[in-house]
Amino acid sequence: MAKTELRKNVKTEVEDRSSLKGTLASVFLLGFFLIVSWVGVFFLFLDRF
Amino acid sequence: MHMHKFEKVWLIFGVGTLLVFLTVLGVSAFYLGNQPPSCLATIDPEKVETQAPFNEPGLKKVEGKAWDYELVFVAQAFNYNPGDVEIPFGATVKIIATTKDVIHGFEVAGTNINMMLEPGYISEHITTFDKTGEYLILCNEYCGAGHHLMTSKIEVVES
Repeated sequence: MAKTELRKNVKTEVEDRSSLKGTLASVFLLGFFLIVSWVGVFFLFLDRF
Repeated sequence: MHMHKFEKVWLIFGVGTLLVFLTVLGVSAFYLGNQPPSCLATIDPEKVETQAPFNEPGLKKVEGKAWDYELVFVAQAFNYNPGDVEIPFGATVKIIATTKDVIHGFEVAGTNINMMLEPGYISEHITTFDKTGEYLILCNEYCGAGHHLMTSKIEVVES
């Protein structure tokens, strides 16, 4: 008969196998886009009366 | 908790950006004293014409204030009073406006002057007219059948 596995402290190996380089690049791409557009609008605001 | 190094980097970057934006907002509001155009100043909309300064719309020179002129505008369906105003180049002007009937807009096209005029409230905006030219004032809140005809004009002229 099959035995139910009751052991709870089974260690699963969590490996950082996936590289986050692409994620980092896209996050900063979005970040700089937000900052550049915000600064652009802010200077437009300062330039007008 | 395990956190990837990159995740820490973009979290710090994101929170830092948020703090910079909030600081700019705080400095603008609490140090420079910027406030919304309609900021708790009220008026009885039925008695606009009899109350100062709205009994005399137009540009008036003032002394002893942080601004040189006061420009009073009364809006109603479907026009502004005054319909045309000349402002000397470089003058610092406080625009004071209200409406007699419904909600109107007060947008000076191509500038930062853009207010909503609500019945019962006085809207104000202080600015220095440091560029000459003709500026169109538009109603940008739909106010009725003649909404698209509701305009006025500011001319900034070399004195």
